[in-house]
Amino acid sequence: MDGHGDGQSRWCLSQVKGAVDDDVAEADIISAVEFNHSGELLATGDRGGRIVIFQQEQENKSLPQCRAEYNVYSTFQSHEPEFDYLKSLEIEEKINKIRWLPQKNAAHFLLSTNDKTIKLWKISERDKRPEGYNLKEEDGRYRHPSSLTTLRVPVFQPMDLMVEASPRRVYANAHTYHINSISVNSDNETYLSADDLRVNLWHLDYTDRSFNIVDIKPANMEELTEVITASEFHPLQCNTFVYGSSKGSVRLCDMRASALCDQHSKLFEEPEDPSTRSFFSEIISSISDVKFSHSGRYMMTRDYLTLKIWDLHMESHPVETYQVHGYLRSKLCSLYENDCIFDKFECCWRGDDSEVMTGSYNNFFRMFEREGQRDVTLEASWENGSPGCPLKSWRVSTGSRRKRNEIGVDCLDFSRKILYTSWHPQENIVALATVNNLYLFQEKLN
Amino acid sequence: MEYKVEAHRIMSISLGKIYNSRVQRGGIKLHKNLLVSLVLRSARQVYLSDYYSGACLNAQSEREGNEWDITDSEREKFPPSTTECDRVESPEEPQLTEQPEASEKEREYRENDAEKSERVDCTSTSEQESNQNSSLDSVSTETTTESPSDTTVAERDSTPVVVNGESHQPPKTHVCSSNRKRSAEESESGDAPQKRTKVASSNTKEDEEEAEEMDTGNVSNLITIFGSSFSGLLSKDGTKPEAEAEESGQICCDQMLKNLNPWSTAIVAF
Repeated sequence: MDGHGDGQSRWCLSQVKGAVDDDVAEADIISAVEFNHSGELLATGDRGGRIVIFQQEQENKSLPQCRAEYNVYSTFQSHEPEFDYLKSLEIEEKINKIRWLPQKNAAHFLLSTNDKTIKLWKISERDKRPEGYNLKEEDGRYRHPSSLTTLRVPVFQPMDLMVEASPRRVYANAHTYHINSISVNSDNETYLSADDLRVNLWHLDYTDRSFNIVDIKPANMEELTEVITASEFHPLQCNTFVYGSSKGSVRLCDMRASALCDQHSKLFEEPEDPSTRSFFSEIISSISDVKFSHSGRYMMTRDYLTLKIWDLHMESHPVETYQVHGYLRSKLCSLYENDCIFDKFECCWRGDDSEVMTGSYNNFFRMFEREGQRDVTLEASWENGSPGCPLKSWRVSTGSRRKRNEIGVDCLDFSRKILYTSWHPQENIVALATVNNLYLFQEKLN
Repeated sequence: MEYKVEAHRIMSISLGKIYNSRVQRGGIKLHKNLLVSLVLRSARQVYLSDYYSGACLNAQSEREGNEWDITDSEREKFPPSTTECDRVESPEEPQLTEQPEASEKEREYRENDAEKSERVDCTSTSEQESNQNSSLDSVSTETTTESPSDTTVAERDSTPVVVNGESHQPPKTHVCSSNRKRSAEESESGDAPQKRTKVASSNTKEDEEEAEEMDTGNVSNLITIFGSSFSGLLSKDGTKPEAEAEESGQICCDQMLKNLNPWSTAIVAF
C-alpha cells in the first residue's frame, strides 16, 4: 500500500491556521477551501458565514528551501443568517462553496454561496490615497474659502495596504432547495448553481434572472428517488457540464442540445457489485464530489468509500478506482448511527493531473499517484509533525497486531475528519481543513 | 432472526433521524432525508418480507390464525353499517379526492379476497374493484386485528393496547388513522409509501414536500403522532433489544415481535 519503505513521505507540514484549543465554536468550523487560479490566494469559508483569504508571500530568495508562507490577506462576513418567513425556516449562513473567477485585472473576484444565495465578491487593494486637496483639510474638514490663496494638484501618496472586500452582486431567490455546488464557466461570463433538484445558469452581470437547465423534480414528490449532489462545468468546453446524483451516477450534459438539459448526453454509472449489497449500499454510492481534471479529459468522483476516475469517452465504468478507506465497509451500521455516513468528502487533482487526493477520518488524508499506482495515508496533526519535517505515512489495520505507525480501525476518531481539500494549481502545496484548522503541506524539494 | 433484529434497529434509528431533522437548523435536508428513507425502506422490506413469508411461522402461526379468525368475528361484531362507513369515509374523502384514483390502483394489498366484496359499497372508491377498498373498509372494523402488528399502540392516544390479537374497541377518532396505517402497511413493501392521507403518508415524503409546500396541518398531525407514539416506543424499544439479546430461542422471538409489530405501523405512519 505504501510505496516508501521507510514510511516517509515527500510531504512536510508547512503551516497550521486557526485556534489550537480543543474547544471549537460551531461558527469556526471550516466548510470550504479553495486556491485561486494562480495559487497566490487561498480562500476558506466557515459555518459562521465568514471568508478568510490567505496570500502567499513573495518568495524569500535567501531561503530557497522553504516556499513562501500564506498569511491572512482579508477577512469578511460573506453571508448572514436569514429567516424565511414564509416557510418558517432559518437559512444557515454556512459557506457551502467558494469559487474564484479567473483574474482579469488587479482586483480578485470570487463567488461564495450558502444554502440559498450566491454572492460575487470583489477583493481589491488600496495602497495609495490622494492627498493635497484644495478645499479640504487632511482630516476632511472643509477649509474656509477666504484661506485659499494658492492652488495645488492633489497627488497620490502611499498608505498602509488596505484590502477591501465588497459584494458586487447578490444572486438570490433562485433555489427552493439547498445549494450544493457552484461552478464558473470557462467563458468567464456565466456560472451554474445546483441544488438538490435543479441546476441554474446565471450570467455574472445579471442578478435578476437565471435559467433553469436541469430539473429532476418529479411531478409527484413521492416518486423522488434521487437528488443532485454535485455539479461542475467542463474546464475547457463552455457548453458541457456534469452533475452527480445520490444514486452514484454522473450525467454529462451539452447545453447546445437543448435549453433544458434533462436528457443527458452521457451517463457514467458503474453497476453495483451485488456481493456487497447492504442496507447502506445506496447511501455509500451517493456522489459527494465531482471534479474535472485540468486537462478536461478525465473526471473524478468521490463516494463514501472510493475515488473513481472516469475517462469522459467511456461511460460504462471508471478507468481507475481507489479505495479510500475500505476498512469502513464493515462499520457502516455504526457510521450510519453517528451520522458519519452522510459526510460529504471532497477531492482534488494535482495541477498536472498526475495525482489525486481526498480526506478521511482521524484527520487522515489520502493521496493517490495515478501512474505508479502508489498511495499514501498522511495525518494532519500539529502535534506530531513539525514544519519542514517529512510526514510519516500511516496504515490502518483491521487485525489486532500493531506495528509502528499503524492504527486499528476501532481506534479511529470519527469526529476528526478532513472533508475539504484544495491543491495549488502549479506548485505542490496542498491545503486541507480539519474541523477548525487549516493545514498547509508542501512537498520536499529534494 | 438476527437480521430482523438488525433491521428493526435500523428502522428505529432511521425514524429518530427523520424526527430530529425537523428541529435541525437550516431546515430539512432533502438529500439526507431521502437517503434515510431509503435505508428505512430497505430495512422494512427485510423485516416485513421475512415476516410475511412465514419465516417466523413457528412463533406466529397461532397469532396469525387468530388474526384471521378475529377478522371474521370482527366482521360479525361490526357489520358494515352506514355510520361506520360514514365515519370512515368522511376523513378519508378529502384525501381521496386529492389522490388520483390511478395511484390507488398501484397499491397492492394482501387482504383476503373474501373481504373485498363486502366492503366495496362503503367507500367512495367503490367503483374500483381492488383490494384497497376492501382493506380500507375492513380496516375500520379490523383495526384491532391485522397482524399482530396491529396497530396499536402507535396510533392510540396513550392507552397501550394489548397486542395479541384480541379485539378491542379502538377510539373512534383514530379509526381512520388506523385504516390508513393498516392499508399502508398491507401494501407491497417496497412500493412508494402511500400518500393517501396526512397520517398514513411517509413522513420523509412529507418532509420533502414540506420543503416546498409547508402544509402546517400535516406537520402538526405528524408531530402529534410522533409525540405520543414515538417516545413511548423508543424507550420500550431501547430496553427490549438488550433484554432479548440475552434470551434465546422462541421466547425471544415472540416477545420481540410483539413489540416490533407496533413499530411497523408506526413506521408506516411516515
